[in-house]
Amino acid sequence: MKALAAALLVLVAACGQGNLILNVDVLSFLTASDSTTHYNVIGGLPPVDSTVSRRFSLPPGLGKSTVDSISANFSSQLENLTGGGRVTLEVFFAKSQGGLFVGTPYLSDSSGHVTGVQTVPMGTNSLRLADSVFTTDSLWVGIRARITTDVGPNMTGQLRLTDLHVRVVLKDKII
Amino acid sequence: MRTGVVAVALTVLALAPTRAAHAQFSFDARRIGMGGVSLGRDGNAQRYNPAYRAVKNKSHVAGSPKFTIPVPLGLIQFFKDHPINQLGHDPMFSPESSAFNPVALVNLVFNAPIFYEVKKAPTPTNDVQLTIGRNQLIVDLGASKVLIPEQDFGLGTTSRLLDMGVGFAGFNVGVMGFLQYDVAITLDSTLRNFLTNDSTARPNTSYFVNTDGTAQAGFAPTVSYAGRLLRGAGGKDTDDGFYIGGALHYYMGATYGRGVGPAGFTTGNPVLAATPVPLLNGNLYTSNKPFGTGVGGDVGVVWISGPFEVGAGVNDIGAQLTWSHTKIQQFGYDTVANKIVDSVIVADTTSTTKLPITYMANAALHMGTGTTVAGDVINSGRGTIVRVGVEQRTGPFALRGGVSRDQRKKMQFGFGGGLRLGPLGLDVGFWTHSNSLSTQRAITMATSISIY
Repeated sequence: MKALAAALLVLVAACGQGNLILNVDVLSFLTASDSTTHYNVIGGLPPVDSTVSRRFSLPPGLGKSTVDSISANFSSQLENLTGGGRVTLEVFFAKSQGGLFVGTPYLSDSSGHVTGVQTVPMGTNSLRLADSVFTTDSLWVGIRARITTDVGPNMTGQLRLTDLHVRVVLKDKII
Repeated sequence: MRTGVVAVALTVLALAPTRAAHAQFSFDARRIGMGGVSLGRDGNAQRYNPAYRAVKNKSHVAGSPKFTIPVPLGLIQFFKDHPINQLGHDPMFSPESSAFNPVALVNLVFNAPIFYEVKKAPTPTNDVQLTIGRNQLIVDLGASKVLIPEQDFGLGTTSRLLDMGVGFAGFNVGVMGFLQYDVAITLDSTLRNFLTNDSTARPNTSYFVNTDGTAQAGFAPTVSYAGRLLRGAGGKDTDDGFYIGGALHYYMGATYGRGVGPAGFTTGNPVLAATPVPLLNGNLYTSNKPFGTGVGGDVGVVWISGPFEVGAGVNDIGAQLTWSHTKIQQFGYDTVANKIVDSVIVADTTSTTKLPITYMANAALHMGTGTTVAGDVINSGRGTIVRVGVEQRTGPFALRGGVSRDQRKKMQFGFGGGLRLGPLGLDVGFWTHSNSLSTQRAITMATSISIY
């Protein structure tokens, strides 16, 4: 990935003062088990987290780049089978694995209260300016599903991530 | 020896702009105004045609100055825009700067800012988009696609850095320094199609560029002869006649280096399911010891008859250098170590290089009405340039125009004028050129002072 990114940057580096825009289909790099979370949580417990974290190699030289803006979006589908409660899906980006799941997530959406067999679409998008997290050759992505159950039967079902895209607009300072 | 190779490489880079200066460009605004063609018997004539050494210039070419001093308005403007004491922080040379533009830097290399650019070559400023996913890799260069060359591109020339000696009765013994370099980069058709048309990478496909670069330098003891075989109708007080010239060189190469091979990557299936395999398989040839040797020669003829003259010269005929001590190294990409590694294939062997044949043919007609028409065809090692120009002198004024076909096979146009006041002349010339990455022409305004 690094070599590919380097090769591409050599090519696009000769493209003037325009911005370099990276559209990354993050979901496509996740495994099926990463993108689908099956849950079975006892009712009435404090919130339970299910997390996935993955490291991505970004084009070398991004550490010297100036990020103009970051926009990200995700969409997912909550398919609840039994029990009741709510599920909050959060997406984090960080330069290190230890930096994940700290502070405010980049993307966050709640299913609202669900009970019994119910399917709820979820999704949101965000735009940030000049975020230094993306000025790195290596980026960690963390996905956290926070499940809060009602008192009663176990809350079971699955949360399926159907889209996760990141669009990074870099000012020209690539190599 | 590696130091020698590096030195040659640096010299090549430093002299890169002189390709334009020697082959397509001139420091004389008079020539600029005529599309680059020369009306007089300047250095180019003797450089390429040894017969011109015998021409005494008795019948002084009308309108030719003794020498010309360029007025480098472009340099003044350049250093005004890029102060010397701030070059270290200048965005033009600092990739760290957000204003750094590689296209502008390459354009600067192709077209040294000696003269004022009336119209600069545009540098694309559109956004470039990369779409990356496990199953897709899309590169959208937008308007910058025009920067992708259709054929091979690069730099190359053969220069004679010095040429000195002593002579008698037409014979001359001396020594000549030579520097030849040629760097060619060719995009594989798959890569070119990917960048210019398809934009979407395919699985299990290699995308690469082929590179081939050679640089060699040295000196050559030379024996030459130039003389007038036949006198013309004008008699011995004129230059009329038929001249021949020839030179025999014994080349003694000081150092050389050559790198050749593809560089790129191979996609997986799906395209980015796994890390694409880097594709780098190059060979580097370097001379372990100096004195690659060879023999070659130059020949030339000139015929002058009153207002008309024509000449032709060919250089470095049969110039093949044999390097008895060459090291061959192979470069590749180690996917495990994630770095470029090299290994010596052959520690000491024999290899050969050639100096490309260069040539020049020229013709000029000096009419009594103050009109001079001239043309030349010149090849300095990488592509042929054809130029035709005309000058009309009326009293102290001169009007000039010309056309040329440059090394990129593009038509270029020049026009200009001059004012002569006694021994001084001021000339201005405008010239279109394509010495840039852009497909659009730029226009240079040259100014120079001539001493008559």
